[in-house]
Amino acid sequence: MIAIENVSKWYGDFQVLTDCTTAVQKGEVVVVCGPSGSGKSTLIKCVNGLEPFQSGKILIDGTSVGDAKTDLPKLRSRVGMVFQHFELFPHLSIINNLTLAQVQVLGRSVEGARQKGLALLERVGLSAHATKFPGQLSGGQQQRVAIARALAMDPIAMLFDEPTSALDPEMINEVLDVMVELAHEGMTMMVVTHEMGFARKVADRVIFMDRGAIVEDAKKDDFFGSPRSERAQAFLSKILSH
Amino acid sequence: MDFSPIVPALPSLWEGMLLTLKLLAFSVIGGVALGTVLALARLSSNKVLSLLAGFYVNYFRSIPLLLVITWFYFVVPFIIGWITGTNQPIGAFTSCLVAFMMFEAAYYCEIVRAGIQAISRGQVNAAYALGMTYGQTMRLIILPQAFRKMTPLLLQQSIILFQDTSLVYAVGLMDFLNSARSQGDITGNLHEFLLFAGLIYFIISFGASTLVKRLQKRLTV
Repeated sequence: MIAIENVSKWYGDFQVLTDCTTAVQKGEVVVVCGPSGSGKSTLIKCVNGLEPFQSGKILIDGTSVGDAKTDLPKLRSRVGMVFQHFELFPHLSIINNLTLAQVQVLGRSVEGARQKGLALLERVGLSAHATKFPGQLSGGQQQRVAIARALAMDPIAMLFDEPTSALDPEMINEVLDVMVELAHEGMTMMVVTHEMGFARKVADRVIFMDRGAIVEDAKKDDFFGSPRSERAQAFLSKILSH
Repeated sequence: MDFSPIVPALPSLWEGMLLTLKLLAFSVIGGVALGTVLALARLSSNKVLSLLAGFYVNYFRSIPLLLVITWFYFVVPFIIGWITGTNQPIGAFTSCLVAFMMFEAAYYCEIVRAGIQAISRGQVNAAYALGMTYGQTMRLIILPQAFRKMTPLLLQQSIILFQDTSLVYAVGLMDFLNSARSQGDITGNLHEFLLFAGLIYFIISFGASTLVKRLQKRLTV
């Protein structure tokens, strides 16, 4: 579904990604972790072309992201993305946040988009808030709306860029619950997160990044059982100790 | 001092005020529209486009408005005649309107540019991630938010423009100030008419400015 082949990226002279290669199969949940500044957010933004990369190749369902001939908007409309800071559109009501791209990008009817939006709000437990504005919701609620907004496009895969890092601790679980449910339904997911509990529960594979490179790419049980690299061991012992 | 001749002159003063307001309204609409296009060009990743827009803005911000008005008075009829292929005179109003639009666009551009830059990059990414094109992202997501933030600044600039419209005196257009002046000349009470005009300009500008400040407070809360 998502194939990342030898991707490298530089900001000027500074190399942020070094020869990254991995893949996410259909229905697979892959968690990407690593210390801050390791390039994991940059990598996931490269997947749907929000960040350009200078060498290597990324294929989504066979379509090359970096190819100048690729219709990027069309490709992106098929891949859902959830951001650290939610990025709901503050000037639109919750329901309009969910319908705007359905109507403008996919060309769905306003009523059809509305029905779909309401159904998804129901699913993330926020039907009562349809007519409110993003600023009136808590962080956890906003992030659940953001997930619903991405799902409204019927994506073939979902990308999560640290979806819980900006949340107060008591709101993290309500977001993770939605993500776990999604994983159980067979959604293809690439998730940048430090939530190792989430990784243990639903991940098929865990990728560990450090200094722009993929240091470890292992089945979940192997990763948590006996990480091969010292850096992954050190990282795990730090974040699992408390 | 005799203010009584002002009363019978009110209808023609009102005519002048209508012209002033018409000039103001069209200039604001045209200036903001052109200013927005210029702001998008300045922020564009296309270097040529960005440089051209930057040159436009810096040029118009570096020359006096009075110069633009008189210059356009002579040049605009020529250009329009050249485009349409006719020799019809277009009148002082149209050439003044074009001058104000183009001059003010340079100032509106800088306000709109700052407004766009105040919206976080994350909003652009979120719109792109949903499959929106650059045009959709600007029109549906970024500009609506930016305009909300910069409305007070745009209005403040428009109040300055309201005062600047009096410069059309230079090409003989009968705006509010010019009709006050001519009525004063006719009745021989020029000082009274000019004092009256000053009072009206003050009331409108100061009143509008106070309203804008109140709006600004409400928006920032």
